[in-house]
Amino acid sequence: MAATRQRVHADDLADSIGLGSEELAMRKRFLEFDDDDVQRLEGMYGLTHEHVDAVIEAFYEHLLSFPETTSFFRDPRLLEHVKGRQKNYFIRLTQGDYDHDYVTDRLRLGSIHERIGLPVRSFLGMYAFYLRQIAALLVQEHPGDPEHAFQKFHSLTKLLFFDIGLGVDMYIHQRERTIAVQQDAIRELSTPVLTIRDRLLVLPIIGILDTSRAQQLTEELLRSIRESRAQVVILDVTGVPAVDSAVANHLLQTVEASRLMGAQVIVTGLSASVAQALVTLGVDLTKLNAVGDLQGGIEVANGIMRYQVVAIDDTIPEVVDAGPDPEAG
Amino acid sequence: MSRTPVDDVCVAIRSDADVVAARSLGRSLAEQHGFGTTDVTMIATAISELARNILKYAHEGEIVVETVERGSMSGVSVVARDDGPGIPDVGLALQDGFSTANSLGLGLPGTRRLMDEFEIVSAPGSGTVITAIKWRR
Amino acid sequence: MPVPILKQGDCLIASIQSALTDADLLELRDELSERVGRYRSKGVIIDVTVLDVLDSFASRTLRTMAEMIRLRGAETVIVGIQPEVAFSMVQLGLSLDGVTTVLDLEEGLAHLDRSRRARVAHAGG
Repeated sequence: MAATRQRVHADDLADSIGLGSEELAMRKRFLEFDDDDVQRLEGMYGLTHEHVDAVIEAFYEHLLSFPETTSFFRDPRLLEHVKGRQKNYFIRLTQGDYDHDYVTDRLRLGSIHERIGLPVRSFLGMYAFYLRQIAALLVQEHPGDPEHAFQKFHSLTKLLFFDIGLGVDMYIHQRERTIAVQQDAIRELSTPVLTIRDRLLVLPIIGILDTSRAQQLTEELLRSIRESRAQVVILDVTGVPAVDSAVANHLLQTVEASRLMGAQVIVTGLSASVAQALVTLGVDLTKLNAVGDLQGGIEVANGIMRYQVVAIDDTIPEVVDAGPDPEAG
Repeated sequence: MSRTPVDDVCVAIRSDADVVAARSLGRSLAEQHGFGTTDVTMIATAISELARNILKYAHEGEIVVETVERGSMSGVSVVARDDGPGIPDVGLALQDGFSTANSLGLGLPGTRRLMDEFEIVSAPGSGTVITAIKWRR
Repeated sequence: MPVPILKQGDCLIASIQSALTDADLLELRDELSERVGRYRSKGVIIDVTVLDVLDSFASRTLRTMAEMIRLRGAETVIVGIQPEVAFSMVQLGLSLDGVTTVLDLEEGLAHLDRSRRARVAHAGG
């Protein structure tokens, strides 16, 4: 029962980062890791079992001699815990069955190291250390038979590179997930539709405008147009770092959709270099009502909406409603 | 007695009234499946275009709308099937501006933009099956 | 299902009540075109608020409808395109070029009113 549950979980973690059994088999083929290697590794079980304590102790002594890595293992209880895990890891190298459960175990290890923020170089350094240690042990074990020792070492190298691949994949996967979460957060923060005045909206676009964001932004804008019965919308793209033909198309779609709902769109903030790039790309922007900057856009909107901005003249006394003029009549 | 949600709808397409029926049934299935109003409208519009495509080129066929799951993703698939003349060059049919029946030529490429996945299986004389999927966001 | 057409002053208001088949739409086109002549109307409002889909056929028919009405001497205003519908239309690549679209019936009437005043001013000057 427990084994079944573990197996299901193994599938989950490997599958979640796109490591199906086919992909794993392909990786082993690529490393030329075959049954002979499995046999040789299983034959080294006695060796790893005998030396595991010494190797792990030496490893942590080495690790803790660098201030950069010391900081990760200040807590002695944590240190004992990770040492225990490393011992399991080390012996597991020679226990055969390099299948889904093995892969999950390796992925989990990579995931823990990523989470505590261990740099990839230290993570790789650990493998290099194990290789050096085992090379020395194998030479000791096979005096006068370097070829035999080398064969075993060779098999171990393949397996460790298999492990490194899994660990690095896990690092990348977790970083990508973090980036995706942050992107979602930015996305939610960065689509304010501002009402400048009755029926005049401003949508300042900041950051990269990809397809999904452009769609989300347009949906949001269209809903705002209906809610506030907007007549004019100013799309300010001053904060968009690059406008290529795809972004220009998104803008055109937003303009067209807004027009279908009865709102006129003014695009402001297209820089000189962007304008040049768009013309060079040959994007048809005849439908784009562009005005230099946001201030100019608001002025054009005023014109469309028949507003006039007049400075208050202090020399003219304010009109005070004093009731009926006593001198009249 | 609990009401079970509908998992699929199948509409025979023989006249323009069937186009309306197909998109309205597809719409309610997508709504039941938790799609937002914009996505629901895009799905309904895609169904409308695919059903029109059947009428225009094959005169009759069927539209099947059903829920699909893949890994952690969940969505709705629209399958448009007919035994009409087929599409000789699928790549060409998906280019913006291409049309054989003198329409605006927006049908297939536009429909593809409404959906997340779009696949055409067709050959001259052996009918056409178009599968379009939209995933829930 | 036929679309009711109301006459208000020199305007006609076609207020769509439910999803339309292609035949319904074509009938509306012919009916409006005929009545514009009969009533000597100057403006036509087509209210599409209830339509949850405007596909390529509907868009094309609305465009030809507006063009026919223009040739019969009146201006067409489409009102009430919903946000989702507008979004799907542009995704599909449809644009209703050359047709005036405004938010709702109120805006449509205001638009035709402005056109009327512009006409009067023009005739007066």
